Amino acid sequence: MLSLVTCKAASRGLAPSRRFLLGALHGSLRQPFPSTPASLIARRGYAEQFSRSKPHMNIGTIGHVDHGKTTLTAAITKVLSESGGARFTDYSQIDKAPEEKARGITINSSHVEYESANRHYGHIDCPGHADYIKNMITGAAQMDGAIIVVSATDGQMPQTREHLLLARQVGVSKLVVFINKVDQVNDPEMLELVDMEMRDLLSQYKFDGENTPIIMGSALAALEGRDPETGAKKIQELIQACDDWLELPPRDFDQPFLLSIEDSFSISGRGTVVTGRVERGTANKGAEVEIIGLGSKMKTTLIGIEMFRRELDKAQAGDNMGALLRGIKREQIRRGQIIAAPGTIKSVKKMQAQVYVLTKDEGKIVRGRSSPFMANYRPQLFIRTADVNVGLTWPEGVADAHERMIMPGDNVELVCTLTHDVAAEVGTRFTLREGHKTIGTGIVTKILEEA
Amino acid sequence: MSNFLRLQSSRLASRCYSTQQPVKASIKLVAELRKLTEVSLSKAREALSATNNDLDAALKWLERDLVTTGAKKAAKVQGRSTTQGLISVSMLSSGVGVKTGSGYGGVRAAMIELNCETDFVGRNELFGRLAADIAHTAAFISDATGSSAALQPCSPELLQDAPLLSRADPGAAPTGTVAAAIRDAIAKLGENITLRRAASVVENSPQQADLGLRLSSYVHGTIEDPSQGRIGSLALLALKFKKLPELIASEAFREDLGRLERGLARQITGFETYSIKGEGEEALYNQPFMMFGHEFSDISVRDALTIWSRKKGQTSQVLTEEGVAVLDFAKWTVGEQIAEDTSPAA
Repeated sequence: MLSLVTCKAASRGLAPSRRFLLGALHGSLRQPFPSTPASLIARRGYAEQFSRSKPHMNIGTIGHVDHGKTTLTAAITKVLSESGGARFTDYSQIDKAPEEKARGITINSSHVEYESANRHYGHIDCPGHADYIKNMITGAAQMDGAIIVVSATDGQMPQTREHLLLARQVGVSKLVVFINKVDQVNDPEMLELVDMEMRDLLSQYKFDGENTPIIMGSALAALEGRDPETGAKKIQELIQACDDWLELPPRDFDQPFLLSIEDSFSISGRGTVVTGRVERGTANKGAEVEIIGLGSKMKTTLIGIEMFRRELDKAQAGDNMGALLRGIKREQIRRGQIIAAPGTIKSVKKMQAQVYVLTKDEGKIVRGRSSPFMANYRPQLFIRTADVNVGLTWPEGVADAHERMIMPGDNVELVCTLTHDVAAEVGTRFTLREGHKTIGTGIVTKILEEA
Repeated sequence: MSNFLRLQSSRLASRCYSTQQPVKASIKLVAELRKLTEVSLSKAREALSATNNDLDAALKWLERDLVTTGAKKAAKVQGRSTTQGLISVSMLSSGVGVKTGSGYGGVRAAMIELNCETDFVGRNELFGRLAADIAHTAAFISDATGSSAALQPCSPELLQDAPLLSRADPGAAPTGTVAAAIRDAIAKLGENITLRRAASVVENSPQQADLGLRLSSYVHGTIEDPSQGRIGSLALLALKFKKLPELIASEAFREDLGRLERGLARQITGFETYSIKGEGEEALYNQPFMMFGHEFSDISVRDALTIWSRKKGQTSQVLTEEGVAVLDFAKWTVGEQIAEDTSPAA
């Protein structure tokens, strides 16, 4: 009993560092589960530990340069540090937006983290529109929600529209609004007007203007520890609003099973074994699965799961496993196909995607293009383990499509026509290569044609 | 007690805040004024409270006030680095074959760089309109230099004092100078905005019938308006054909010429191009002409121009006597470092 308790404690204590480690490994803070054998054992024994640890989500602050985004971020860490949910990060420590590289792409953004009673938050702040877009495409810290910061003295500004458009573009569907500097406005009717205008604008940009929480306070008061009614208390309200209103992204575990096939073997007397990494979900031995992509769509049964030469009953996100498949010949399997829970993902021939084209200086090795290209450019597209040729064209309705260039450093929405179908859905990430150079990276925004 | 104190302090704050007579601004009018002018909330309120809730008077008050508060705001944000923004091109007359615009057959255009602090503001409509109007103004007010046909830098300081003309409504009487418009934009957008550079090209139509001038431009990284974006180029071309009047009258020729011009402008914009002739791949004429259809992608711009000209002129004469040549160009990228000499050496 005693050992069990300590083990639990250890596993809980390790959780944040694991999360961090994984973030570094996969370039994404989302993956909550490690795949090392040691932790695997711990997890198998005490799975409930993880369900109790706080779910993680990434949020960002968006707002005008003078409206107090950084002060608010500092204030949040200060208020939450009092309940042990954060390490106080001073204004001067945040306001840097250091250059970092995610998948070889330079992004300017600053990060802090904190915990509310219910959640663990990664908080990012970028100086510009282009940085948020790059962030989304690379998945460096995908924003699941955002706090729009507006000063009560100015009200929304002309560029608040651009802030909301950005939130839409990076896939944030719910926002929380913080009206800052209310201690500088003495007329409650004015605050009502700010509130009203903001709700109007939110609705205009297809956010839920009526129900979006709008918190009015003073980040500076909270930071300086004065006027708790407009200061610290409002920060707590803001965090509560984030907890209540912003939706958690689905955890990898809760999503339908998907394994990307890396290799396949024929094992005499047993059948065909495919190996690969479980990207998400779980599957039990005996589960019905589908093999899709590269021209195939086959139903089969997962009759065996193996990892580290041991048989398992269950495969889950993060596992590098071998799967024994019923009635499938090795010739039917190709690297780049996927195994998924039936009907959960489709194979795609044509899709629309947001693509960032690398500049020639980005990346460690020689990468990126130095010259522009035009529609009908044909690089290779790598999606999970699949590698197919792709034709890039402008979406319908783009003016002068046949005379438009795409240059290194561009963020563009493009149509990708694949020579062979691969499993993909909205939000799937891929890279574009030409020869041995990575020339771009993208995220699927719309499925145009299924196989 | 603490409540009382806060009350006191807020009353004090209010006293400092509005220096005018304490007429309470109507919320409804504040909202309306904001919709009309996009000024900040506190400013809208101040205007109404100073004008006894008279909307028209408040609008006038704001106009007057923008001069002082705009200047104050501009002074406050001055010195903040502006690395974002737009390159905006205004092409009033693209040269021979154009029957509209000022100056039959002449060329008249300008390119400007207007900077701000974040690309959020750079993408904003208000900012875009200002950049377009300034480019339009620069193109409109520039004079033909009479010297060798080339792009001329305009001093941003001089341009600042010019009355701002509206591109959308060119006939409208200007309401203020370029500097005043920038100041207003600073007051509304709350970011430092600077006019970094401007260049124009104005040439009358050459006297000889076999000579013509043309302008071409490509702007990359546009948002809505195709004439402004992240990288812009403006190129001045010369045409020399014995049968030029005849050729230019043909729609097919004008179409082909347009395609060639746009290809050249794309080539300049897309590749690292620093000169027209000279050594290496940084000279336009030496680059493989990759931005002009497959048939020319393997040959140099110089050769492509020769082949194209021969085909069009139906002669076998060499380029120096007949054909299309690039006389000058400018290529700017938002926020780039400006070298001492920005004009490409011919």
